[in-house]
Amino acid sequence: MATEQLTISLNEVLFFFTRAGFGVNAPIGIAEDFARSNMWIAENGFDPSSCSIEALNNLDSHTSDLAVELEHSDTQVHFVNPNNVYLSSLIASVSVVDWINVGSRNVELIVKNVDSPLLVIAAMGANQCSDWQAIWLDESNYEYLVNFTEPGVWEMVSSNTQPIELSKGGNMIIRPLVETKKYPANAVLRKFVTIEEKEKILQTGVKVGEHWQGIYDYFSRCLVKSTAESRASGAGAGIVDTD
Amino acid sequence: MISESNLSNLSAQFMRPPEQVMRLDRMGSSHQTRLSFMRSLIRRMSKENWKFECLRRDIDSDGFGVSVYAVTTPLRTYSLIAFTQDIPPKKRTDRVIAEVWDATFNLFDGIPTQADIDYLANNTPKQEDGRYRPSELVLARANKSLRIFEHVISTLAKGNQPDIELLSSVGYLMRTTAVYGSGKFGCADRAKIADREECKGAFQIELLAVYLIRWFTIDLVEYLARKRGGNKAVKFEPHIRQFIGVGNATGLGMAPFLLKHPVLIHNWVVAKESALAKVRSMETPLKGTLEKFTQSLIQVSQHLREWCVEDEVQTTRIDRLKDEIGSLSNWCSDQINLMKPYPWNGIYQYVEDRFSLECQEMVVSLIIEPHGPLVDDLAETMSSVSTPKLVADMPLSQLKGIVEDYYVWATTIDFTLTESQHHFWYYSEDKLEPRFGSRDVDEGSEQEMPLAIGRDAHELNHALLSTSDEMLVGEFVLSFPQFRHIIRRIQNTLQRPYSEVQDNLLDESMRPLDLLRFKLAFFGASKFDPKSDLWTRISMYQGAPMPDQLSDPDHDKWFFPVIPKQVI
Repeated sequence: MATEQLTISLNEVLFFFTRAGFGVNAPIGIAEDFARSNMWIAENGFDPSSCSIEALNNLDSHTSDLAVELEHSDTQVHFVNPNNVYLSSLIASVSVVDWINVGSRNVELIVKNVDSPLLVIAAMGANQCSDWQAIWLDESNYEYLVNFTEPGVWEMVSSNTQPIELSKGGNMIIRPLVETKKYPANAVLRKFVTIEEKEKILQTGVKVGEHWQGIYDYFSRCLVKSTAESRASGAGAGIVDTD
Repeated sequence: MISESNLSNLSAQFMRPPEQVMRLDRMGSSHQTRLSFMRSLIRRMSKENWKFECLRRDIDSDGFGVSVYAVTTPLRTYSLIAFTQDIPPKKRTDRVIAEVWDATFNLFDGIPTQADIDYLANNTPKQEDGRYRPSELVLARANKSLRIFEHVISTLAKGNQPDIELLSSVGYLMRTTAVYGSGKFGCADRAKIADREECKGAFQIELLAVYLIRWFTIDLVEYLARKRGGNKAVKFEPHIRQFIGVGNATGLGMAPFLLKHPVLIHNWVVAKESALAKVRSMETPLKGTLEKFTQSLIQVSQHLREWCVEDEVQTTRIDRLKDEIGSLSNWCSDQINLMKPYPWNGIYQYVEDRFSLECQEMVVSLIIEPHGPLVDDLAETMSSVSTPKLVADMPLSQLKGIVEDYYVWATTIDFTLTESQHHFWYYSEDKLEPRFGSRDVDEGSEQEMPLAIGRDAHELNHALLSTSDEMLVGEFVLSFPQFRHIIRRIQNTLQRPYSEVQDNLLDESMRPLDLLRFKLAFFGASKFDPKSDLWTRISMYQGAPMPDQLSDPDHDKWFFPVIPKQVI
C-alpha cells in the first residue's frame, strides 16, 4: 500500500498515523492523539501525509524532541524545548490542548519554535476548541492567523503563498479569540466548516501524495519480520481446509 | 450511553459487577442472546419488510463468475457483489496470509454499474492487495466446505435432499475467513453510514454482508444442481435451507479490536447485563415466559447433542453442559422452584451456585430470550460514536482513587514474574497478520502492540505513589507522557466500568480464544469450534429465516438452532 497516488479512508489515517508516530518512538498516547489530529486534517481536505511528514522526520533525526518545559508568568505560559532543537509538534499539540482543557482562559499560551504549527492547530480542532485564536510567524517569516470561531468552524488568514502545511519553526501565540476587524489588503481568508468538509471526504476518501511513502515507512517499523517459526505459530497454522 | 442509573433501582441491584463479568474465563463462555447483532438485524429486516433480489448471475457451469444480490431497505439499496473462481486445493486456507479464495465479495452502497464491477473484478479477488473506494462498504471472502459443497450439489442434482447429519456436522456451505468494514483498505468509513437507521447498531452492515453471503452460497448450489441435474434436480426443502448457516474462521484480529474500543465494549456488555438484571428483578413472571423457558431447555439439549467439536477442552465443557442443562430441567420440573417470588433470579442463582460458567452464560441467554418486549430496545444502545479523551483537569487524587477502585486486578499482579509477561501481541509484516508471541521464543517484542493494559496500569500506579494529590493530570503527563494512553483508559473506566477486560493479557495462561468467543457471541455466532487457543470456527445465521421467510411469525425464533424436526 505504498503507491504515489493513493486514496485512503479516515480509519486508515487513524491506523497508519498512530503507528507512524509510535514508529518514531512517540509514546502510544501521544501517537494516538497525533493520529486523531491527522484525521481532522484529512477531514478538512488536506493531505495529512504532507502535513505530518516533517514532524516525524524531525523526531526521527533528533532535529526535534518531545521534551517540553513550562515557564509561567502572570499573563503567559511558555512551552519551550530545553534541548535547543525544535519543539516537536506531537508533544506541543497535546500540551496545548491539555492546558486549554484545564480551563484557564486568562493567559496566553506561547509555543516556541514548534516544528509543524499546523499540527497544533489540528489538535485544537480535533478537540473541538472554540473561541480560541492562534497566531504565528514561522522561520521563513510567513505569518498565519487561525481563528476557532465556534465548535467545528475555523478560519485561516494568511497573506503569503506558502501553504499552511509547510509552515515550519513557528513561535505561536494561542489565546482567547480576539475579533480582528481588519486584515492586510492581500490577506486571504479561508473558512472551514469541518462537518461539511468531512462529508465530502467520506464520499471521496482522503487523497495522499508523495509523502505517504514516508508515513508508511515509519508505520512499517511497528511490524515484526515474519519467520518460518512465527508463520507456523500464527492463528490457523497447520490446518488444511478439508471440512 | 446506558448506565446502571437508567435502570430502575430494583433492576440495578441485580446487575452483575464488572469484576464478575469482565473476566476472561466468563467471557470465553459467552453465548448469543436475543440482543446479539445478527438477531437484531433479522428483526429489523422483518419489521421493515426488506426486499431481496438476485440482480445478476454470470457464472459458468462450475459456478465461477460474478453475481450480484441486492437488498432494498426502506430508504436505500445495498448490493453484494460476489466473484467466484477455481483455486488450487492446496492454497485453500483460513489464514489471513492466504492468497486465493473460492469466493470474494464486496457489499456495495447502491447498485453497481458495469464500471464498478469491472473495477472490483480487478481488486476484490486480491482482497488486502486490492484497493477499495467509499462506495464499497464491506470486503469479504469465503472458502467452500469441501465435505459439504459437492455432496449438496450432487444430491440436489439427483433430486434428493442432502444428508442432514453431514450437513449438521459442518453447518454451512462456505466459510468466511475475513469480513472487513469501517474503512479497511479504502472502503467506506463507518462515519459515512453511521447515521443511517439500518446501520446504527453495531456491525449491522458487516452482518448484512454475511447474511447475503449465506443466501448467495445456498442460491449458488441450487443453481449448480439445476445445471447438472436438469429437470431432475430439486431445491432444498425450506426447513433444510433455513438450517444452513454460513461459517466463519476467526483468528487474532478480533482481540486487538476489543481492547482498542473500550467504549463500545462497555455499551455491549452493559446492554446485555441490563437485560439480565431486568429479567432477574421481576417478582412475578410475564405470562407464558416460564413455559417458553422450560421448552427452550429441551431445544438446547438437542442443540448440545448436535454441537460436536474435535477440541478436547470444548468437548469436555459441552459434555458437562449437557449434564447441567439436564439437572436444571429436573429442577425446573418441580413447580415449587418456579412459583417463588423472583423466579428468574431463582433460576439464575441456582445455576450460578452450582454449575459451570459455560452453563451460567447459556442460562443468561435462555432467561433473556422470552423477554423480547422488555429488552429488545437495549439493542439500539450497543454502538458508539465517542472516543475517550484525556481529562486534563482531573486531580491525581481522583485518578489514584479510580485506580484503587477499578484496577486492583492489575495492581496486584506481580509483573516481575516471567510468566506474567510471557506473551506479547504484534503485527507481522505478513499482511499485517496479528500474532501472539512468546517473549522467550519469538523475536519482535520491542514492537509489541500497546495492549498490555494491566501492566501499564500497574506501572502507572507505581509512578503515582510519589506524586502530589493536588497535581493535575495535564501537568503529570507533561513529565510522564508514556502514561497518557493508560490514564485516558482509566478515566474512561470511571464512566464505563464494563469497558476493561480484568485479566492479564500477557500471562502465560492467557487464551486469546476467550476474547474471540466473547465478541463472536455478541455477533450472534453459535457452535463455537475451537481449533487452538488462537482461533475458532463458528456458524452464523444457522436457523435464521431466508429472505422469503422473513415475514413468517417465527422469524425471530432461531436461537440455538437444531436439526429440523421434519427430517429427524
